[in-house]
Order: sequence, then structure tokens, then C-alpha cells
Amino acid sequence: MSDANDVQFYYFHFMPYAHYPEDHKKYEATWVNFPNTIYDPEVGHQLYQRYMSEMVLADRLGFDGICVNEHHATSYSMMPTCALMAAALIPQTTRAKICVFGTPVNLEYPSRVAEEYGMLDVLSGGRLEIALPLGTGMEYWVHPINPATSRARFRETVEIMLKAWTEDGPTEYHGDFYDYRYLNVWPKPLQKPYPKIYVVGTGSPETVEFAAEYGFGYASVFVPTKKQLQTFELLAEKSAAYGHEWGPDKPLINVFAYVAPTDEEAEREFLPHIKFFFEDCLRVTPSFLFPPGYLSTEQFRERVMRPALHGEFDFDAMTEQFRVVAGTPESVAQAIAQWVTEANSTRVTCHLHLGDMPHWKTVKSTTLFAEGVIPRVRELLSQQSANLMRGAAE
Amino acid sequence: MLALARETITVDGTPVTYLSGGSGEPLVFFHGAGTFHGFAFAEPWTENYRVHVPFHPGFGESADDDRITDMHDYVMHYMELFDRLELEQVNLVGFSLGGWMAARLCTEFGHRIRRLVLVAPAGLRDPENPTVDIFKLKPDEIVERLAHNFEVLRPHLPEGHDVDFIVDRYREMSSTARVAWERLHDPKLTRYLHRITVPTIILWGDKDRIIPVGQAATWAKAIPDAKVHIVPDAGHLVLDEKPEAVATVADFFGAAS
Repeated sequence: MSDANDVQFYYFHFMPYAHYPEDHKKYEATWVNFPNTIYDPEVGHQLYQRYMSEMVLADRLGFDGICVNEHHATSYSMMPTCALMAAALIPQTTRAKICVFGTPVNLEYPSRVAEEYGMLDVLSGGRLEIALPLGTGMEYWVHPINPATSRARFRETVEIMLKAWTEDGPTEYHGDFYDYRYLNVWPKPLQKPYPKIYVVGTGSPETVEFAAEYGFGYASVFVPTKKQLQTFELLAEKSAAYGHEWGPDKPLINVFAYVAPTDEEAEREFLPHIKFFFEDCLRVTPSFLFPPGYLSTEQFRERVMRPALHGEFDFDAMTEQFRVVAGTPESVAQAIAQWVTEANSTRVTCHLHLGDMPHWKTVKSTTLFAEGVIPRVRELLSQQSANLMRGAAE
Repeated sequence: MLALARETITVDGTPVTYLSGGSGEPLVFFHGAGTFHGFAFAEPWTENYRVHVPFHPGFGESADDDRITDMHDYVMHYMELFDRLELEQVNLVGFSLGGWMAARLCTEFGHRIRRLVLVAPAGLRDPENPTVDIFKLKPDEIVERLAHNFEVLRPHLPEGHDVDFIVDRYREMSSTARVAWERLHDPKLTRYLHRITVPTIILWGDKDRIIPVGQAATWAKAIPDAKVHIVPDAGHLVLDEKPEAVATVADFFGAAS
């Protein structure tokens, strides 16, 4: 059983290209068909330097992990390949785990993802963690991969990667989508049998079943907290049925946070950026989100009935639906300690940079978070468990 | 003229529904990527033919079959259905996606087809007359483009936000994506169309805004015994819009009316 007090903080940077033209609202989406002429590589270069410095700072300040992600044909994230960014960060960091959050494995050959991740784990001396996404619907509009068979392909791809890592090569694989005469990846990961794996999902029965079957962790990002908690309960139950333990290191919970010396200052400095993030960085059309066949008919029905994520921004509604907090180190720590407890999770991904937040705010909030929030959350949790122990002893 | 009756049959494990009625030589209709506009147009055929209108697996009232991943799977599904219904040889009408299916079936199992009508068929790559990519259109844009006379569609459309309607369209687009997401045509189809040796009509509305009428000539060039029949002032849903198009099909199959 992993230690309930061993709470770990991951610094998750989306690295957006947030320099939108003034008339950007005229575009229906900032994904898929958002013209790439908007991207200025000179600005991109500056942003890469800046964002990497923020992630390196997170490592220096004591965050336990750094997450890089991958999306395509969008300003949302400047990482169309997360492995490259992970490779750039590895020599600049010394202790933080590097979590690739991650390549939608359907978009590459399974052997190639297995090699890339194997390489990153060796390169980093075993600091790699892996989150496996099916990929958003948007990725399927910009790649020649059929969304209607994406879930079956995803299962097979992961099966091939695990086989490549757990069996000695050369071996073979014969499936519905891929046939390998020689499956023989060089190198296999340093961590044995392979680095820690989470499935990235939105709580659909397919991904839950999949994670439970393999004993993987689970991470949902843009899913209302209540639904996430139900998913985690289901995962605990299903994982046990497959003979896997569902410990607190398995659910990854995500927090959108901003820290400042006063609650008022934090809210004032945070608001424009989280608004920009949800309204503009995440602006997509329903058909981009759900290309045909990406969801089962039942899941599609459920999503059609769900309230839309985008639309008019409402901070209070946002804080009710998601783990969003802006405040002093104490208020943020209190909120996080509560979220960690209710989710029975010890893995917290922290989105501290959002949208068009400037460097100074990012550094300020990141520093206050590392120095004031992280130790305080740990303190609150150990007090909590001490109280529990005392209660049990009496 | 008879209303079509509903029958259900399980084909290789998948329950499928077909509409059926009339008597005479068999006439089978393969529908397109959407079934919401119904099959009332097919009722006049019951006067002279034994009409069968099956829902493809994954469409309308038939169940899903996630083993289907390409057009050939549909061809094999229909060979099995024909066998089960003891349809040794049929007059086949295929519309749009169903036209692609019918053409493909006829290239492989031509001896099971007596005569063929392809109504605004999909499946061909014709760079001069490109097919509209329906996957890139929003659902209401597809509806808007389907008919030249929008009034024929109106009774079949919901008023306001109708979850069932939206979900049904998503399901049928998903089934279409299973066989056509990678490309909305079969690059090898042209190469094999000469194997369709039965008398064939290529029927098209001249105002088709989904698959341009210019493709009719391309089909006719590739199929040895094909004639083109263009219906004026009709859109993609030429059979729904024009009774004379429905009559053209009946006449071509040759039964006395």
C-alpha cells in the first residue's frame, strides 16, 4: 500500500502559444483549423525559452514531477511531440520525475512510442512516468487515423508497447491493426518492468475498464470533479476485480491554482488568464471534440446532455465544477488538502501557468506554491492522519 | 401501392431490420449515410416488385456490427442476407453510400444482380467533380445541402433541439466513418467497374450539392452497359424529390406497369 501521506506535486505546463491576433474571436476554434499563419516562430522561440525556464524552476523549487503534454494543430500547446520537450528538460533537471502526458499512441507506430519512451527513461536515469491518452477528438481531424476504430487500436497499441517492454526481444506480435515480424525495441526502459503508467480519460467505461485491467493509474483533466470521484470509486472496484490494488498513488487529480500574498490579489491576478484559458485556448466545436465514431452512441448521448464546458466564462461555476483555487498559500493548501483527502489521491498535477499568464506571475505563483503550499499540505495531511491514529487508538 | 412492412432477421449474429412489400421480381434498395428521411418514395415499386429495403448494420433500425471496417464487409453482409432471403438474383438500387456498396457488390458478385441502378453514388474519386466531404460539414449544413427542394425534408426534421435525432445522426455518421473516414472513395473502384456487365442506369439530380452530377459521366465511362439519366431540378435526394425518378427505376427493371 502506498503511503497516504506521500503526497506528490507535478508541475504541469501546457506551453501555449497565447499571442492571438486581436480578431481571434472570429475563429470558431483554436484547434484543428486555427490558421498556422498566426504562429510567429520568433515569438515561439522566446516562449520555449521562457516556458522551459519555468519548468526548470519547478524542479529547483522541489516539485516532485514535471508534466509535458502533446496536442496537434493548435495554439493550446506548443508540444506536438512531448518526447522532444521531455528530452530537452531531462539534462536541465536533476530530481523531478518527467511525466509525458503524452503522445496519443494511435498516431505513431507502437514500436516507435515504445522506443521513444524507453529512450527517455534511460536518458533520465529512470525518472520517466507515462500517461497514455487516446488523444482528443481534435487529434483525429488532423491525422489519417480512423476515430471509429480508435479505441480498439489504442488497446492493441498499448498491448504491443507492454509486450515490447516486458518480453525480451526479438519477439513477434500479430494483431488486428499491426503485425510485427521482429518486435525488438532498443532500448527498453531503465525502470522495470516499465515506468509508472496512467491512462488519461474522461471517465468513459472503455478507458476505466482498460486502466483497471492493466492496473494502471488514471488521470482525467477536463472532467467535473464529482464525475472524477465517481470514476475513481469505480476504478478501485474494477481494479480489485482484475487483481490490482488501487492505491492513492493511482488517481492523478488536477488543480488549477494561483498563489499570492492575499486572496484578493490572487484572484485579481489569476482571473483574466483562467478566463482566457477556458474561453479561448479551449475553444473547439462539438464536431471537433467528437468526430464520428470517437464516442460510442451511449457516451455521445451522455455528452450531448452534459452542460457545455465552453461558452460564457463564470469563475464561480468553474470553481464548483473543477479544482480551481486562487488565494494565499494557506487557502490554497487547505483546498488541496481537502481535494486530496476526498479523492484518496496522493498525486496532484498543478496547472500554475494558464493561457496568457505573464512570466512574472507564473514565477511568483510557482515560488509561493512550492514554498508555502507544498509543505503546508503535507503538514495538514500528517496532522489529519495523526488525528485519525489517535482516534483509532482511543 | 403497398406500405412497406417491417421484418427482422439475424445475419451472422447481427439483428437487422428490413422493410418489405409487394410482389414480383425482387428489388433491393441500399440506402445512403442517413436514414431519417424514410423510404416512402419506394412504395410505388411494390406495385410490380417484391421490394426489400434493408437497414445496413449500424444504421436506422438495424443493430451495430463493430466487425465491419470496410465496404467489402457490407458486400459480404448482403451476400449473406440475399442467401437467407433466397434472393438468387435481384434488381439492385443503391443510393449515395449505398450506391458505392451496390457498385462494389456488383463488381464481385455480378451474377446475383439482374439490373443495377446507381443513384448519385459515392465511392469514386473524380478530381474534376469532387464529392463534398460530409465529415467536414456541420449536421445542419448536410441537411441544408441534401435536397434541391427543401420541403421534401422538412417533415422529417425535428423542431428545435432533439437529442434522439442528434444521437441517431452521430451513430450513422460513425458507421459511415468506419468504412469511409480514411477516404470518401475507394481508390481501386474505377479499376474494377468494367466487371459490372449488367444493364445499368446512373441516375442523378442535376442540382446535387453533395456529389456533383458531373460524376455521372465518369461512372458511365467506366461501366460498359451504363446509361446516364439526369433529373432536372433535383438535388442529392433525387428519389425523395422526383416521382419521375422513382418511375424511371421501375421502368428500367422492365416489369409492365
